[in-house]
Amino acid sequence: MEGILFPRGVVEGREGLNEYRGRGGYEGLAKALKSPPEDVMQRVTDAGLRGRGGAGFPTGKKWALTRECPEQPRYLVLNGGEDEPGSKKDRLLMENLPHLVIEGVILGAYAIGASKAYLYINANYDVAIKSITDALAEAKAAGYWGESVLGTSFTFDIELKPAPHNYVAGEDTAALEVIEGKKAWPREKPPFPVTVGLFGKPTSVNNVETLANVGPIILRGAQWYRKFGTPDSPGTMIFSLNDDVNRPGVYELPFGTPLRYLIEECGGGIKGGKKIKAIMPAAPSSAYLPADKIDTPLDHNSMRDAGSGLGCGVVRLVSQGTCIVEEVLKISEFFTVESCGQCPACRMETNTLTALLKKVQQGQGGQPILGQFSKVLTFNKGKGFCNLIAMPGPPIESALKLFPADFDAHLATGKCPVI
Amino acid sequence: MRACLVCQNVDCKARGSEQLMAELEKKVTAKGLTDVEVKPYMCFGACQEGPNIVLYPEKSWYAGVKIEDLDEITEHLAGGPHVQRLDTIDSSLKELIYQLLDTGIF
Repeated sequence: MEGILFPRGVVEGREGLNEYRGRGGYEGLAKALKSPPEDVMQRVTDAGLRGRGGAGFPTGKKWALTRECPEQPRYLVLNGGEDEPGSKKDRLLMENLPHLVIEGVILGAYAIGASKAYLYINANYDVAIKSITDALAEAKAAGYWGESVLGTSFTFDIELKPAPHNYVAGEDTAALEVIEGKKAWPREKPPFPVTVGLFGKPTSVNNVETLANVGPIILRGAQWYRKFGTPDSPGTMIFSLNDDVNRPGVYELPFGTPLRYLIEECGGGIKGGKKIKAIMPAAPSSAYLPADKIDTPLDHNSMRDAGSGLGCGVVRLVSQGTCIVEEVLKISEFFTVESCGQCPACRMETNTLTALLKKVQQGQGGQPILGQFSKVLTFNKGKGFCNLIAMPGPPIESALKLFPADFDAHLATGKCPVI
Repeated sequence: MRACLVCQNVDCKARGSEQLMAELEKKVTAKGLTDVEVKPYMCFGACQEGPNIVLYPEKSWYAGVKIEDLDEITEHLAGGPHVQRLDTIDSSLKELIYQLLDTGIF
């Protein structure tokens, strides 16, 4: 299947500057610099590009909000924290297609009028950091960034910043804190980074995959881009499959492709020839879908209508014979550990949900305990500085709704029904 | 068994809840309250107002507790009066936490 980021299938090995230029690399930048920055923004808006970090926010809108802010200087941050468990897409893009990523950064900076871009990259990604560092040197020598980019009046700087490897460090405002030399703790919002961001200045924080889409959009146009995907979710998205399928890996697919195609054709189906019990389209924070939703199209609207979400495309499968109580307990414990602890509501919620699930697992508390989950979630709804507080809810509530027998069995016997 | 739950999460600890728990245990023992167990609790969600202590099943919530308040709390456990001045927590949070405690989550 033809792709946008991987036009000839997922690339193996690092693409150098000459190879990238050989397929039209940096031509989009040269073209863009001949017209005003607003044209770049308009083209990205027309293409309907949406953020690939999880929220799906329209990129053109984010850039416009940043640019509209009169404060100077403005900043662009490439968010390559990639701390979502099982996500491998940003690492692959930075390792193998560093120039595609860097061209997107330069175009984004030009569009919003940023004087500096920070590349915030997971510190554990040694190969990606080396690949990007080398590509930055090549691109600078070729005049693509630095003083007077390609002989124009556009001048801007790029700096690489290693990102701590913990879950909240990938949150956009936590990234800003780290770049400012502080602890990776999310900030209270509003104000949003587009108005008060890095060093208090307007800042656009964009995911790696999001920015990697910008070069192809500028080079080939919004109409071409919209040939992929659906009207509400144009383009493609990179999905990560892990060891619950026969062929783990990353797969670029047009939005709207049925989930079944990803799981069966790309991933080779669930491992061990088992049957699917549940699908989590955006692990670990989305609602589970029952197996009969396997034909749901992979786009934002369809996933929302089905009761779940796309997140950053980490698709996980639960096989028949797996106890959902054990699964959600693992998820809940993950969020309890990864909560940074600065917001009391988040601390209370994550700790309490895990404690409740442990009670269920051990068969304590009886049926009344099942009614407590929604009370805890409702009480804490909308509280906390970042979205982590909203993450344990969808997996737990969907598990309770779809698989009540697993909870009942634990409560009745104190044992896991699948053992 | 009655429980005297002392929050041991970050904020309450930073305000001395470990020492409070140790002192309270001594006082409860000294008073001969053999039916009261002093236990740590993970988080009541009222961190700004900690250290927090909840008596269960009495359902009395004492916030901002200091060492000098412990004698009165021990008296309450021994059948004395409720310490009204330490009862400052919002009723909706109280209701949620008491419901959780009713399920045996401690």
